[in-house]
Amino acid sequence: MLVHGVWTDEGLAFWAETPADQGSLPGARRHGEQPAPHPFAASATRVAAELRIDAASAPDVTAAPGFGAAAPPVPPEARQGAVLGFHRPTGQAVGRTLELLLPGSAREPLPSPETGLLPGVARPRLRRWQVPAVVPSASETLRLLAALTPSEAPQHRETGAGGSSGSGRDSHGTGAAGRAGTYRAVTATLRHWGAVAEFADGLVRRGRVIPQLVPFEHPAGPGDRPGMPGDPPDASGAGRRWAAVWRAVVTGGDAAYFRELALAMPPACRAYQAERPASDVLLEALDAFADALVRRALAGRPLMEEPRAREAAWTPEGRWLAALTGADPSCADVPRLREELESWRRTVLSAESAARVCFRLVEPAPEPVPFPEDVPQRDEGGWRVEVALRAADDPSLYVPAERVWTGEPVPGLPRRPERDLLAGLGRAARLYPELERALRVPHPTGLTLDTPGAYGFLRTAAPLLQAAGFGVQLPRWAGRTRLGLKLTTRTASRQGAATGQGFGLRELVDFRVDLAVGDAVISEAELAELARLKVPLVRVRGQWVELDERQLKAALRAVAGLRSGQASAAGILQEVVRGGDEELPLLEVDADGVLGDLLSGQAERRLAPIATPEGLDATLRPYQERGLAWLSFLSELGLGGVLADDMGLGKTVTTLALLVHERAAEPTLLVCPMSLVGNWQREAARFAPDLRVYVHHGQGRDASRVAGAELVITTYGTAQRDLETLRGFAWRRVVCDEAQAIKNSGTLQSRAVRSIPAGTRLALTGTPVENHLAELWSIMEFANPGMLGPRARFRTRFQEPIEARQDERAARELKRATGPFILRRVKTDKSVISDLPEKMEVKEWCPLTAEQATLYRAVVDDMLAKIDSSEGIERRGLVLSAMAKLKQVCNHPAHLLKDGSRLAGRSGKLTRLEQLAEEILAEGEKALVFTQYAEFGSMLQPYLAQRLERPVLWLHGGLPKKTRDRLVQRFQDDPEPMLFVLSLKAAGVGLNLTAANHVVHVDRWWNPAVEDQATDRAFRIGQRRNVQVRKLICAGTLEERVDAMIERKKALAERVVGTGEEWLTDLSTAELREVFRLTGEV
Amino acid sequence: MGADWSAFEHRGPIRVEGGLRARSKRGSIGSSWWSRRFVDVLERVCDRGRLSRGRAYARQGQVLSIDLSPGLVEAAVQGSRPAPYEVTIRIEAYGEERWAAVEDALARQAVHRAKLLAGEMPPEIEDVFAELGTDLFPRDLDMRCSCPDWGVPCKHLSAVLYLLAESFDDDPFLVLAWRGRTRARLLGALAEEPEERDPLRVDDVPFAERLADFYAPGATAHRQERRASEAAPDLLPRVFPPPPAVADALTAAYRRLRDTP
Repeated sequence: MLVHGVWTDEGLAFWAETPADQGSLPGARRHGEQPAPHPFAASATRVAAELRIDAASAPDVTAAPGFGAAAPPVPPEARQGAVLGFHRPTGQAVGRTLELLLPGSAREPLPSPETGLLPGVARPRLRRWQVPAVVPSASETLRLLAALTPSEAPQHRETGAGGSSGSGRDSHGTGAAGRAGTYRAVTATLRHWGAVAEFADGLVRRGRVIPQLVPFEHPAGPGDRPGMPGDPPDASGAGRRWAAVWRAVVTGGDAAYFRELALAMPPACRAYQAERPASDVLLEALDAFADALVRRALAGRPLMEEPRAREAAWTPEGRWLAALTGADPSCADVPRLREELESWRRTVLSAESAARVCFRLVEPAPEPVPFPEDVPQRDEGGWRVEVALRAADDPSLYVPAERVWTGEPVPGLPRRPERDLLAGLGRAARLYPELERALRVPHPTGLTLDTPGAYGFLRTAAPLLQAAGFGVQLPRWAGRTRLGLKLTTRTASRQGAATGQGFGLRELVDFRVDLAVGDAVISEAELAELARLKVPLVRVRGQWVELDERQLKAALRAVAGLRSGQASAAGILQEVVRGGDEELPLLEVDADGVLGDLLSGQAERRLAPIATPEGLDATLRPYQERGLAWLSFLSELGLGGVLADDMGLGKTVTTLALLVHERAAEPTLLVCPMSLVGNWQREAARFAPDLRVYVHHGQGRDASRVAGAELVITTYGTAQRDLETLRGFAWRRVVCDEAQAIKNSGTLQSRAVRSIPAGTRLALTGTPVENHLAELWSIMEFANPGMLGPRARFRTRFQEPIEARQDERAARELKRATGPFILRRVKTDKSVISDLPEKMEVKEWCPLTAEQATLYRAVVDDMLAKIDSSEGIERRGLVLSAMAKLKQVCNHPAHLLKDGSRLAGRSGKLTRLEQLAEEILAEGEKALVFTQYAEFGSMLQPYLAQRLERPVLWLHGGLPKKTRDRLVQRFQDDPEPMLFVLSLKAAGVGLNLTAANHVVHVDRWWNPAVEDQATDRAFRIGQRRNVQVRKLICAGTLEERVDAMIERKKALAERVVGTGEEWLTDLSTAELREVFRLTGEV
Repeated sequence: MGADWSAFEHRGPIRVEGGLRARSKRGSIGSSWWSRRFVDVLERVCDRGRLSRGRAYARQGQVLSIDLSPGLVEAAVQGSRPAPYEVTIRIEAYGEERWAAVEDALARQAVHRAKLLAGEMPPEIEDVFAELGTDLFPRDLDMRCSCPDWGVPCKHLSAVLYLLAESFDDDPFLVLAWRGRTRARLLGALAEEPEERDPLRVDDVPFAERLADFYAPGATAHRQERRASEAAPDLLPRVFPPPPAVADALTAAYRRLRDTP
């Protein structure tokens, strides 16, 4: 069942398609333009059950007689809720029959893409359909939508050993599953409403709401509601009721996001009764959500206490205040208050004009009189806050106040910019009273400040003004330069890493720790002088530094304990990674020799590259040679590393090169997701044919073979199961591929791989680790246990400052702490891009799941029997049909069965496609995904859109030209990373899709010409980046064998196989059996 | 006459529906400095006892209307007689010449225009008037009421004065208007409302062109970047003060919004 959300005059209504019923039920019989019942919509009762709305709390749904037939009259109470943002006692959902405007034939509406069905109607038209629906209360709706927010979803990503391992994947594909009481958003309409609810939540948290007194229609007269004590008779006449509501305040950046949300809103979200403008629907929904959220935040804490007995009755304002919390918003009208509130709202909204006032703090000019260098100078003045106007929609249009006062019109600014400037200054003065001083002149341009004043502006006023929507520009050093420590080390043997042989972490080095400001070391005397000045902002050697009391005290304490002496390189390394403490961070490290190279995080560039080792059947590119040198360097030091190069840069071949280069006595254990085992095996065989590889996986695994191997490949699942056995070996190293799999340090898998003793460790990951700090800690904890300190410290020291406050200093410190151990090159690096070919073609071998294998064998047996007993045209037809069926099994069991069953976790190919897509999107790039089967594309699109939470477009032959053009334009112009699923036949030629620099062929046409033509959609004039082409092949199946045959024949004559699959029909049954047969590991 | 009056009084005033009601909170006028100054004036001409009776009267909603024009406030108050009493309060309205001088002085400091545009009365404005040898706030009020009560101010006058002070609270420009300068005249071109534009409006693709992708998003809503600093949730009421009668309660409520569960 696929649940959709549509906005109605009662709030958000949930309705559902039951695709299984599509086509099986008699179509609608409609009379003229009269609305007809939707033929495959679920009953309201079933929708409520699907959403797990407690049946007991939805009495109308279960009790409504004849539900789903004629629209029951809307009870007055419900109508009242409508305008007010569906206030109803919590938990009470109502059943409705909605009239929706949906495209389709006269018999039935088009199915939504999430059904996975291809639309069968050639010329759909908009018609009215009666659709049963459930309208929960606002709070219930928000609870339902909160369960869909993206913050939760990525956690569900498959990390383990693929679907066949039997690890519990929940069946997101069907939408019915999920944790108790929550509902997963399978449909784009619900995802959209989830985003709207999240937006409302952000507005409320930031106080971007405003209370109002609004009327609503009420057919019944007053008095039908239990009145509050002291309720005066309704003064404004019968029929009109009043309510206290909170409305959203959407201005500035919020307005920009609002417009994006409005443009993104699927038509199905606003198809209630008529085609409604997206902005109207969105604003109504935001207001309703915001109102419910504020009430939830203020629950139990009314703004106005009920008058105590005997005292005066509720005052009208009191009544209104009281109605701003709790479940009942109704109150009496207070015309004057209402007008004041309206004018307040207007003021708030209109303050958002086309220009906003900006403040820029300018530091004093450098001292003209040269003071003795080493005495910090107290500076009494010369600071200035300059005032300017900036266009709201064009931040580059920055107009100093001086120019505004000339009265000359400035293109891009409002007609009377001085009005915006003055009103803005008047408002800013409320937050920053000091500003009034600047307004004593007719044409203010700025404010002069002494040093304490400047510090006050930096610390107090600037954040406040910024939060209130004013522009604030601070000097570059603000919030950056401060007091800290500098570490200097010197090695006895002045050797660089290039000749780093023999350097060990136990080697002793000389070190010294100094106090420093920015990059300047300061003496004890200078520090004492700073302390004496007692000003929070001082100039040290021409550089301004913010000093707070706490830091100064810590520095004075530290001066006593400053040390110099000798320590081991390992100790120094640990010290640098620790990075000082909160008050006195380690600001600078000056180290020489090998240690210096390592600590600089630049070792890769300083090391001498290692040429392609003997025995590697490939030629390393220059950046791969440097990568190899880096890996080898860390290994020799016994340090773990994280190789986090962009996908496509060859992490696999570099790792294999390391093993070939080392030829170590002990084996390397490589742990990877199930979906990559076949790939590793084949890449190892191809690039390092002499390397003794053993795959420790599956039923027949035999640990005794470890001893004879140089590379042992296993899965995360198997590593966990066979942990005790694996711990018994002496490993040269443990490698984790797709190290995201251990991003959660607490999982059994993570703990298992961490607990296997090894000489050194290596993590391979394609996702940018710097964007996922919790993940980074876990991966580092694997590579170098204990190095980053306990997780809790990491969280307070780095993760929270960086993620919550974008603290640049913390980010720099983290980079310094982890830089020595992480190598990440991106495709666009100057040092890499010149080494890359314009087009790279890669084959990706995917495993079959157990289900796929069973199905595959059944199809082979069945079809071979039929083929054997037939001949001529019939035989040809059967061979082609067998091919098609087997390719469908390779794609997905549901593709062959066409039963609409769930997709997640049942296909090795799909799992691999998801991994690839995640990496591509995480790199901020776009990909084309080609399939030759339109029905498979229809299954992929909604599934990927939900799993990846990025736009996934789908172009097939059934789309009108206008729609195609719009899709292509969106793909080309929208900067958002996204996927474009295309049917090979519909999109093979003509389109220009150069926004993509990745192409994935999900299934194979086996006609290189056709595939190349499709690939060229991305790789054509206008493409400025290199294009990576991936062809997915199921290992051990006909896909692998036909691919191998083509490769062989291609070498002879490309023309021979230029005709697709036809040539296969000439093979004998015995030959066919060879081609079809399922071999190898599954 | 005296007997008549006491008879009326005994009956009490005729109840009014929809009159101008005073605000709820006890003694809440004077929340801004300019209305406090007006209250000072009131307390000079009218003792506290009378003023608080006026407030009670105003709370009952007996004041039917108040009109303010240069130099003159006219009000209708429902007393115990069927016809409402007429109340007038006069002050001196300044002429063109004097206003020109005031405007000139105001223009010399941007703070006046800035605060007036932001909806506040700049405290320095009194000095501007003082320097020109005049007053912004009246020292004396010429007050009349058509009621038979000979005490001045009577409770009708007191009620009107009380409401007037409340109005000044909400709209600082009223004081200036009473002296003969409307907001529009005073701020000149600056008073023009900025051109209307709806920042929330978008051009929808018509349904007719969305039949093939009716259930799909039409564009990407880019996820909002995280806010650099977590804004205090009460910034809105701090920058844009709510109506005074409800300001305290609302500001307190805004502060609690961050704890949204």
